[in-house]
Amino acid sequence: MALISTPPAEREGAMWPAGARVSCWHCGAEHPARLFCPACNALQPLPERADYFQVLDLPRRLVIDPELLQKHYYDLHRCLHPDLYQTGPQAARQASLRNTAALNRAYRSLRDPVDRGLYWLTLQGESLGADNKRVPPDLAAVVFEVQEQLEELRAVRNRNGAAQALVGEVVEARAELLERQSVLLQQLEENFARWDAADGDAATLTRELKAILSALAYLGTLLRDVEKELGA
Amino acid sequence: MERIFGIDLGTTNSLIAYADEDDTLRVVPDPETGSPLLPSVVSFVGPEEVIVGTRAKEMAAHQPLTTISSVKRLMGLGMEHVTAADRQQYAFAADEGIVRFQIHGRTYTPPEISAFILKELKRRVALVLGEEVRKVVITVPAYFNDSQRQATRDAGRLAGLEVMRLVNEPTAASLAYGLHKKNQGLIAVYDLGGGTFDISTLKLHEGIFEVLATNGDTRLGGDDMDRRVAALLLEQLPAESRRHPDVVSQAVAAAEVAKIRLTDAQSTVMELHAGSVHVQRSLTRIEFETLVADIVERTVAPCRQALKDAGLNPSDLDEVVLVGGSTRMPLVRRRVEELFGRKPHTELNPEEVVALGAAVQASVLSGREKDTLLLDVVPLSLGIETMGGVMERILERNTTIPVTAKQIFTTFVDNQTAVDFHVFQGERELVKDNRSLARFKLRGIEPLPAGMPRLEVTFMIDANGILNVTARDERTGREQSIDVKPSYGLTDEQVEHMLEESIDYAEEDVSARLLIEARNDAEGLLHATRKALANAPLDGDERAGVEATVAQLETAMQGTDYNHIRDLTDELNRVTTPLAQRIMDASIKEALERKRVEDVA
Repeated sequence: MALISTPPAEREGAMWPAGARVSCWHCGAEHPARLFCPACNALQPLPERADYFQVLDLPRRLVIDPELLQKHYYDLHRCLHPDLYQTGPQAARQASLRNTAALNRAYRSLRDPVDRGLYWLTLQGESLGADNKRVPPDLAAVVFEVQEQLEELRAVRNRNGAAQALVGEVVEARAELLERQSVLLQQLEENFARWDAADGDAATLTRELKAILSALAYLGTLLRDVEKELGA
Repeated sequence: MERIFGIDLGTTNSLIAYADEDDTLRVVPDPETGSPLLPSVVSFVGPEEVIVGTRAKEMAAHQPLTTISSVKRLMGLGMEHVTAADRQQYAFAADEGIVRFQIHGRTYTPPEISAFILKELKRRVALVLGEEVRKVVITVPAYFNDSQRQATRDAGRLAGLEVMRLVNEPTAASLAYGLHKKNQGLIAVYDLGGGTFDISTLKLHEGIFEVLATNGDTRLGGDDMDRRVAALLLEQLPAESRRHPDVVSQAVAAAEVAKIRLTDAQSTVMELHAGSVHVQRSLTRIEFETLVADIVERTVAPCRQALKDAGLNPSDLDEVVLVGGSTRMPLVRRRVEELFGRKPHTELNPEEVVALGAAVQASVLSGREKDTLLLDVVPLSLGIETMGGVMERILERNTTIPVTAKQIFTTFVDNQTAVDFHVFQGERELVKDNRSLARFKLRGIEPLPAGMPRLEVTFMIDANGILNVTARDERTGREQSIDVKPSYGLTDEQVEHMLEESIDYAEEDVSARLLIEARNDAEGLLHATRKALANAPLDGDERAGVEATVAQLETAMQGTDYNHIRDLTDELNRVTTPLAQRIMDASIKEALERKRVEDVA
């Protein structure tokens, strides 16, 4: 049976709510929830409602060291991946498939700060929703200017006119947008740190987080349009 | 523990490999020629006779429409994806639906043709290792979509194999290169084969191979170059003979030979015989490179995209690996070097490296290789059709697999008991520009006011890159029944049916093979006998006896009783033994006499 003989010692069950108990699909023993059954070592399916931090066996903190995140991700794959259970029983294969799918999804979301922030909002029962449609006031001026430049560039190109000067302007605008983006990412990290330190009430921090994320989303869309036009 | 084999089911050639007891990777060679490659060509010589490999490839020029090569290009496709060039090369059974070839009054789907190739590889292992192949890993182009992957898996099942895993070709190649011996690094694998192109970027970390991004073109490869070069030859022929499938087929074969020669030579000459017309065309490497430059150039945009999706610049890469026969071309090597700014790895044979990598993955799955783990990605975004034919994405391309996404469906009218949805793969905004995978129908929904039912559909892409859809009623928690209609594939029932048929015919398959072998042996002996009779001193009785046996054998060869053919072949062997003896004696005597003359002189 392809069960891992020595599961990582640190997997004590951070993936389950504190004090949770489960009964093993393999040996039937009831035991405190762990990734591998303490009695028979069989891989257990992760709880349906585990959040991304739990799945990656990380504390629920927004500031994440990318190297630690990657280490947890790889270590978990080394004991969860379907390749390791190919010749094992059906239930172990199912558990492996489900756990790995959850692990991949969690990693994809947590490794990117913007996605991590968006996921945090959903954990607060919030979402960007309608805020996303409004131009963030700080960005309004630059957004309109760049959109105008892009339209002009498209018009000139449609007439097969000389686009050289306009392209230069758009390249300059791109540099400014990238600069703003990095400032916003910095603000995002600061907001994350305040959440972790419980520095401020949740409502204020949520409002701030939403403002930063909508500005980033807006910039992201605009930058994609700029890249598309410059790539053409 | 039962051995798992690794198979590279290629457009041009297929290979089967394994890791031996010392974990050395070995390709199983052809028992007769010793070649590791099996040409991926299937020829239906007659209604009962199927041959695969080198001899089938030779048949292409004589029986082009009953000889199928490059079938991989048509795996998982519908007739609307078939090109004009395809129509020239193959006889299709119908104008719509999934691709079906029309051969000797029967129809065959591409997975059935591929199954013949897989069976031949199986036979090769039986002959060389005396082992039965049951479990395999089969490689597919990384850029293969769901339908193409399903078709490959179906081919395996039809060949009586348990397909343990489909592995992406560039990823397999990186495993074979043993790059994990390097602790970590970023690599790009450029894989240009006979019919497909893939580019993958990977991150290596202590035995973990994490694919970051992949891109490609499943209809781009050496075949396209051959067709281009063949056109040079064909344009020298009178218009009416240019279209003959056998002439086209010969021209393509000549073009392939020329292309390969130009890897080392600066120029070559191609020849073509079409009936009484004989044409020649010389080709220099420079001219060839100009001719196919745009084909090679088509690989550039996917490379850039794969780098961009991985968030990499060419200078971030530690290694570039070349895979596929077409990467032997100097033009391709130069272009890759220019693109990535470094000399690519070419130590391993680019035609064997994928099969060897499949054998590594087979070792991982069987639990023998414990330090290597592949984390691959889905190459194309997955979505469903929404209002106005817009594709709503539910899984982004380059997401690590296995992965799941959930979607809630509901009803639009009161008491509606079924909900349909249509799944697509691709990167475009509108579904009409993407590839349809399948239509799904949720059935047996409880009749409730519109919008009340909440049906949670789970889209799971498994480690093979294949989509699995399940659904449940969120309110009751009950499993929801779901019907699947693949757009360009076979349903499970169809595969089962084909399997049953092939088991019924398995006996006939063996008989057909024995018959072919018996006929071949008989033909060889008859040829030698006729030659001997023509110039050997034989008295009347002996001659009459031999001639009678020859006549009997010739008649038997028209029939299908291979045992009878065998018996008569043995008989002819017996009656011609004195003849052979006498011919031998005669030649010795002649030799001796000549010697004596020389002595005297």
